Amino acid sequence: MKKFPILVVVLLFLATFTNAQSKLYNTLIKGGRVIDAKNNINALMDVAIKDGKIAKVAQNIDAAQAEQVVNAKGMYVTPGLIDVHAHVFWGTQPNSYLSNGDVGVTADGFSFRSGVTTMVDCGGPGYKSFDTFKKNIIDKSQTRILAFLNIVGEGMRGGDYEQDVSDMDVNLAAKAALDNKEHVVGFKLAHFTNPDWTPVERIVAAGKLANMPVIIDFGGGKLPIEDLFFKYLRPGDIYTHVFTELERRDPIVDLQTRQLRPFVIPAQKRGIIFDVGFGGGSFNFNQAIPAIKAGFLPDLMGTDLHTGSMNGSMKDQLNVLSIHLAMGMNLQSVIERSTWRPAQAIKRTELGHLSEGAIADIVVLSLRQGKFGFRDIAMNRQEGTQKLECEMTIKGGKIMYDLNAIASPIAK
Amino acid sequence: MSRLFFLCFLALSVPGFDAYSQGVVSKKRIYGIVIKGGHVIDPKNNINEVMDIATEIAPPSIKGQPVAEPKIALVAKNIDTALALQVVNAKGMYVSPGLIDIHTHVFYGHSKSDYLSNGSVAVIPDSYTFRTGVTTVVDAGGAGWKSFQTFKKNIIDISATRVLSMLNIVGEGMRGGEYEQNIGDMDSEKTAAAALENKEYVVGFKLAHFGKADWTPVERLTKAGKIADMPVMVDFGSGNQSLEELFFKYLRPGDIYTHSFCYVPGVREPIIDTETKLVKPFVRKAQQNGLIFDIGFGSGSFDYRTAIPAMKQGFYPNTLGTDLHASSINGAMKDQMNVFSVFLALRMDIPSIIKAATWTPALTIKRPELGNLSKGAVADITVISMREGDFGFKDIVGNRQEGKRRFECQLTIKGGRVVYDLNAISSKPHLQ
Repeated sequence: MKKFPILVVVLLFLATFTNAQSKLYNTLIKGGRVIDAKNNINALMDVAIKDGKIAKVAQNIDAAQAEQVVNAKGMYVTPGLIDVHAHVFWGTQPNSYLSNGDVGVTADGFSFRSGVTTMVDCGGPGYKSFDTFKKNIIDKSQTRILAFLNIVGEGMRGGDYEQDVSDMDVNLAAKAALDNKEHVVGFKLAHFTNPDWTPVERIVAAGKLANMPVIIDFGGGKLPIEDLFFKYLRPGDIYTHVFTELERRDPIVDLQTRQLRPFVIPAQKRGIIFDVGFGGGSFNFNQAIPAIKAGFLPDLMGTDLHTGSMNGSMKDQLNVLSIHLAMGMNLQSVIERSTWRPAQAIKRTELGHLSEGAIADIVVLSLRQGKFGFRDIAMNRQEGTQKLECEMTIKGGKIMYDLNAIASPIAK
Repeated sequence: MSRLFFLCFLALSVPGFDAYSQGVVSKKRIYGIVIKGGHVIDPKNNINEVMDIATEIAPPSIKGQPVAEPKIALVAKNIDTALALQVVNAKGMYVSPGLIDIHTHVFYGHSKSDYLSNGSVAVIPDSYTFRTGVTTVVDAGGAGWKSFQTFKKNIIDISATRVLSMLNIVGEGMRGGEYEQNIGDMDSEKTAAAALENKEYVVGFKLAHFGKADWTPVERLTKAGKIADMPVMVDFGSGNQSLEELFFKYLRPGDIYTHSFCYVPGVREPIIDTETKLVKPFVRKAQQNGLIFDIGFGSGSFDYRTAIPAMKQGFYPNTLGTDLHASSINGAMKDQMNVFSVFLALRMDIPSIIKAATWTPALTIKRPELGNLSKGAVADITVISMREGDFGFKDIVGNRQEGKRRFECQLTIKGGRVVYDLNAISSKPHLQ
């Protein structure tokens, strides 16, 4: 009689131990509403992870089959967010702006807490600086870092560097991109101020050589965007800072009539991809609100993260999504534009969705209700009643961030 | 008719003239910012009630850099918003002095050894400060006397955050590994001399990560502290030496013991008895004598096994340093507001929490112009709201604590300028 309980304890211990070894899943996210645009899912589902991959997405997966359970009740579960427009090539090199300079930020400080698992550096390195970028940034970051290579060999060093047409070498840029295909997803042109189409011609030529998209920050040359969309860019190329209202740039909403210009939606239909690229100077309600009212939705929710935007109106990826909710876009729509659409735009279709077998980059979001305020870069204010908050970020099956410790057992 | 037109024109073109158009006598705007209707907590001045705050008008900046820092002009009931260039609506929120994080690692860089001294385990301060209410950070031992000039050039000079430094007693700074075990590089005189030459930025000395049972590093550290008349901060490494001896034989009142709530018996002596879970009597005595106990939460130094019994027994930390670095930003620590919320969940009262990140650290680093809202103090101000809900907080070993409240930083003012505004609660500023 006395021995019996000990035996039971031992057996129970063994049972628990064996059980843990034989569980089907590492982590199970339970009870959340899954939004997976690629697979047309917007329903209450559980998501199971095994060995860094999505193992199963279904209703009512048994919690006993998982080593760790995440309680996502009342929350949204989406693919890890992809920010196609970040500036993470930070460094201490003097006068280097967004290419190994002090305006770039560290990816990991902004990604996971805002639901982002993949960031595309938008033109920080050029072909000359890509190796430094790889060593200092890609290899040292936990965030998945990809890059649009600047068409300027020196990269985004600011000032005269970016005006130097002779440093825009199509062949060398394309070669560097193809040599580093694992990390490079396209090319970037930015900040060019002369009314001269040469840089655009060069970047598109590089894009053709490498069979990769290009992303254009349309400088200050006041060249017509209609020509850019229909004469220079290819379907699949990206126009960023779409909602900017700056003296030096041709806007998508007419400044007099406040109507969306007639060629913009046709350009989108042609396949030009429009990125928000919010940043420190590129998002105006005066453009965004009329455009959205006219039925034009941006394709991508890039943040243009850098030191000049992180504490300003932009803040982070979820603030950008929340602003678009405040302007009337729906949740499904903003999630799609920061998951599956960017994955397609950068031709990384292994990312941005929750298909079985996909990389387990997953975000758990809650949608706060309350009175919130949002600003554009001109200090105009917009009220909102909803705000997204990142509860948990999982990258490659590993919990990288857990705001309220909703995993059990807790990830250290 | 033309006169009316002229008036309309004036009303549209002259900043501040809108008051006329509303039939109100216009007043000269004499304040930069008025923060209206918030619950002010200013531990130095024993204020804990609804008050308004006015700052001085900022002088025009040159190339985006402020030429002088505006000060607190007035704390009073019902300050007239018509007197301000910019108004912050803080109704239902707390207003505190700008927070001081006494334990951070911001000496970022890509140097070869790559740890916390010109390395990528350190973080860029401005990315983590204003959004969590912090206006001043103290880098805790990143730079040594050999690397301080690089720290100044690369970090202090380009940061919008006010960056101060506790110099590492190791000349090479916090470069990790063998560098920090090298007693031969712990030069009290040179370290003290570098501190005194850079008094504007250096506020003390740091010892950390030493792995042997040898008092020499502590002796070198305190000697530097005495020469420069500055406090020292001790991360007590892994030599498993006597805490009581450290507190009573080596440290002075005003010195700082960090990672107070860690729990690694056998490696470092905990402040609680591992059997009885009682705070050791000599620990309380040391605090009563003036030793400063800092949290230094980090990625390995905040453990509920120490924190819960200590807090239950009324042993509160003096300062709530975060030990901010790349391994703590996404873990249990996260940021200063999260550390606040953890202590709220452990039933520390709000004024004590605020004090531990404002007036106490200001006094500890001997910067009494910071961390308070007295007239004439630097206009660093933080507006914080309190969220209600079901929240969870973990420690560094994965234990969980429930909480019903969470602090959220709404707005941060540094040197009289709004540097962060989560929900756009500040008005568009009038031009001067």
